[in-house]
Amino acid sequence: MAQATKGRLNYRCPLCFKRDIDMDMFFDEEKGEYYCLRCCFRGSEEEVLRLNEQYKEKYGRLRERVVDFGADNEPPKFEKHKAGEQ
Amino acid sequence: MKNSVCYDKAENRGKGHFLCFFWKISPSKVPENVLGGTSVESKLALNIIHRPELSPEYAERALGGKRDVRDESLDIFLFQQECAHNEGLKTTIQITYASLFSDKIVEIAKEHHEKFGDEIGLSLLGLPCKQFKEKYKTEDFCIWMFDEERKKQIVDDCFGLFFEKFGFYPESTGSYFLDAFTINYIKQKYPSVKCAVATCWEEGPKAYHTCNNSWYTFMDGGPWNPWIPSKVNSHCPASSEEDDCGIVAIPHLSRDLMACFDGNGSNFGTHPQNVLRGMIYYEDEKGTEYPYLYNLIDEYRHLAKYNNGFSYNMMFVGPGWLNKAGRWESPYSRLAKSYKDVMKYYGKLKKAGRCVDMTMSELADYYRETHPNYHRAECALWKDILYGSDKEYFWYADPALRCCLDFNQGGAMIDLRPYVARVAQKTGIGTENVYDASYPYLIQANYRAGYFTHYAGAGTVKSCKISYHGQTADLCLCRTMATFRKTEDGMEIVTDPVTVTLDGLKIVLRSVFFFEEGTGKALTRREILNDLCGEEVTFEEYMTGGFGTTEYQPDMTGIRLGAGEASMAFSYHGRSVSGMDGAFALIPQISTRIEMGGDADEFSAEEGIAFSPVYHLRARKKTSKGGIETWLKLQRAD
Repeated sequence: MAQATKGRLNYRCPLCFKRDIDMDMFFDEEKGEYYCLRCCFRGSEEEVLRLNEQYKEKYGRLRERVVDFGADNEPPKFEKHKAGEQ
Repeated sequence: MKNSVCYDKAENRGKGHFLCFFWKISPSKVPENVLGGTSVESKLALNIIHRPELSPEYAERALGGKRDVRDESLDIFLFQQECAHNEGLKTTIQITYASLFSDKIVEIAKEHHEKFGDEIGLSLLGLPCKQFKEKYKTEDFCIWMFDEERKKQIVDDCFGLFFEKFGFYPESTGSYFLDAFTINYIKQKYPSVKCAVATCWEEGPKAYHTCNNSWYTFMDGGPWNPWIPSKVNSHCPASSEEDDCGIVAIPHLSRDLMACFDGNGSNFGTHPQNVLRGMIYYEDEKGTEYPYLYNLIDEYRHLAKYNNGFSYNMMFVGPGWLNKAGRWESPYSRLAKSYKDVMKYYGKLKKAGRCVDMTMSELADYYRETHPNYHRAECALWKDILYGSDKEYFWYADPALRCCLDFNQGGAMIDLRPYVARVAQKTGIGTENVYDASYPYLIQANYRAGYFTHYAGAGTVKSCKISYHGQTADLCLCRTMATFRKTEDGMEIVTDPVTVTLDGLKIVLRSVFFFEEGTGKALTRREILNDLCGEEVTFEEYMTGGFGTTEYQPDMTGIRLGAGEASMAFSYHGRSVSGMDGAFALIPQISTRIEMGGDADEFSAEEGIAFSPVYHLRARKKTSKGGIETWLKLQRAD
């Protein structure tokens, strides 16, 4: 069995990332999959990308822009971010 | 019978007697100035820093030194410079030791200084290179981790070589962290230096875990915005001219004061590739979008409201983050776009008169002009802009203390650092802190739990319990928000009222926190706002404390606890003492004495047990109206 390599991009383990650990993965060319040295994750690039999108769900304001920081004792007001605008 | 708490702030919003400011911004326009005027004080002061590297850390580690990235690294630096200059922004070029051996970089720096007004500073990052390793026979590269003699040698080497190449000594320097010894030596030997990058805010154990063990991350407990460091410990803002180390320090990046405290510090700062690292972006047909980055910059601008018009941003992206091979799942095109976009936003703010780009030395002058005395505090009423909660923190820092109140927990104190103790914490080989440069906490509710703990444990937090007819509620469970007010001698923050229901009795309460600037004294008033019809309730204001820099508590033997006339040596037996005249904890390990006083009927101090290594200070009062007023005072204990 050949040694593992780094993949096309620097993919981190999606399961470790969920627990705030940046763990680079290695690529097993024979099995065509990424795997983690620290936990039991293994998966294809598609699976990694799917889990990464899932991770973003915790950012409730990911696609929103503050339009008003408001009074001290109020939460900020947000609007949907318009792509291409700052 | 009910025993519940509820959150009823909505009807009280806007009814407070404090001034309410509103800051309207439009996503498609540059946000209006927070103070409505165009004075210099109300503009965002901006430092953009670039460092050319010939031996970047990423090439040494991630690529295993396999690729020759010298030209690539130089290209990245030039790209960063171009992005800033295209938007009319000047930078501070922090020359690394390795770069000083490159005539090409020296010439480029001189040219950019002439043409764009960029400052040429000297970074103590970027030490590892062939010349450095051969000369010092070490793989170490963090200036604060060397022994004192070696620190002096390296500083002299870097500054000497800089002078040889440029013909003058720099006015700015920096590293991820700069300890007091190194700053004092630099200032004494090279007095031209007036500004330095001196910490990465709230790195520490969190960043260490995230990076899967990175030993240069232990430096939390410092200020989040520029400050003048003490000569004794660089985390502490100077308390007087005698204590002033002679430079203005700036943090490495401007970080999200909530996301970085709750989670990994490396994802939430004014560093576009950090934001990509945190996956805080979405894809659209127009490309990658990261509104959070602009929200973060705007929230820092918003902080001018609480700091006499002063607001600040620092951006410092090393070349490794724009690696041509891509980084953090992002191809180079996305990395580059994010860098261009953030420069474009700063440029837009500048053109609209909302931002002033400064070099580091200019920032130092500006900071000293706008901060004329040593007792002025920095604060931030920080709102969640990322997760979608209504959480709100109040951060406060002055020369005597730093702390954080969490209004999602009724205003509970979730972080407390005794700056007044000036813990003389030397760092590096030959000291007790070879790598750990964090300033010790008394309370850190995330490292040491807070209200919610396992089994018989107790977490570090300061809050208040209210009891009636055998039922008790802790204000930690009363979610609220708060309003800020600057007073003549301090800062006051008042929560929206909350209602606690105990055995059918409704108790409407408001908390008022007052920080007396520069004295180490913090007052807390719990006010009953409704008529209890003569029913008496019991307040217990409490602080559960520890000390340390990590999740793990060092041995507490040696601590002395007392209340009234009684006192005891800490011995893990769960004993307590009580009295009428206040309570105290004396912690010789960090030269700190904490006193609790106020209008309570009784005070007590209690030691923890082995399973629960903490100490408790408490103030109890039974009343049917008014409330309870207590104070906490931090002092240096010699």
